[in-house]
Amino acid sequence: MTAANALDVLIVEDEVLLAEELAFLVREAGLRHVGHAMSSAEAVALACQLTPDLALVDVHLRDGPTGVEAARLIVEDCGAVVLFMTANVKRLPDDYAGACGVIGKPYSERAVTTALAYLEVCVRKGRAPGPPPLGLSLAPRFRELWGAGLAETG
Amino acid sequence: MTDNPSPDQAGDEALQEALEQKRALLHEVDHRVKNNLQLIASLILLQTRRTSDETARTALKTVLERVTAVATVHRRLFQNDPLNFGVADFVRDLTGDLAAAAGRDDLEIQLDLEHVAIPAASAAAFALVVNELLGNALKHAFPAGRPGRVRVVLADRGDACVLTIADDGVGMTGQPAFGSTIVKLLCQQLHAQLEVVDAQPGVRATVTVPMISEPLVA
Repeated sequence: MTAANALDVLIVEDEVLLAEELAFLVREAGLRHVGHAMSSAEAVALACQLTPDLALVDVHLRDGPTGVEAARLIVEDCGAVVLFMTANVKRLPDDYAGACGVIGKPYSERAVTTALAYLEVCVRKGRAPGPPPLGLSLAPRFRELWGAGLAETG
Repeated sequence: MTDNPSPDQAGDEALQEALEQKRALLHEVDHRVKNNLQLIASLILLQTRRTSDETARTALKTVLERVTAVATVHRRLFQNDPLNFGVADFVRDLTGDLAAAAGRDDLEIQLDLEHVAIPAASAAAFALVVNELLGNALKHAFPAGRPGRVRVVLADRGDACVLTIADDGVGMTGQPAFGSTIVKLLCQQLHAQLEVVDAQPGVRATVTVPMISEPLVA
């Protein structure tokens, strides 16, 4: 069931079956799946049109390894929080292109649903409920912004 | 305008280029494998969601768990040392997945994990063994309503890596057919010693994987 004020989520992924399954997981986590883009241009256009709260972005898109640049534009021009979902974790720039973090592929169902639940709290309250769950790595800037860095042992 | 590199320089450059190409290729293959494993998992999940028959759903979920165990290995492979595989982090990761799949908040899972590395070539087999033993404990040792504890211990014995999974559940129930076949076969493959005992209460499974490095046979 999706609450009226659920976070809006845009999926940017060129593998349609992954996108389809991811949309299920988004809905299962109680968030609202608002759109799906397969190329970087489509992603930025949809992000600015739909103004999602959260965009899940793969690095490799239909037009090549353009996800990083797309993420930067989605953050800067469309104001969404971006989470990378990629098999290319090592290729991300140090500043994560403004994204809040990354889930490495191949991810498990559990990794995605726990990360989404965690990020929902972060986005809503501007504060992390604790250290990030297993499978989710936060960008240094967001770790600080959301105060998620210190509780590792707690 | 031409600059004439010495033969040595030209050779170095060609070597660098070849190395760079090899690195890029390895990266590409790694990326493909990861993406394809994700695709396989998504296909199974999508099929599961469209299946109403309980027996079929359970079978699909079991297959998904096994694929996920192998996928987890690949996610962690190449993260640091490409030839060795850190077992402790993997076990922690997999335990999280299996505990979530079990969906039981009355089961306590204790982890006591030493850092041990096994050859990357053995990682998938080892992962599947852990998956079966731990999955078995979580699924069969505690019937609904019976709380309990599962302990997972990983120890570096120098010449061997010893994994122990012990539960305080209902004990040997004389079922799991295919799962235990998988464990036995893979332990053979790993040259590992498998011991499953009735610990009263519960079951204790110990897998001892020898660490003597064998020469790679192509």
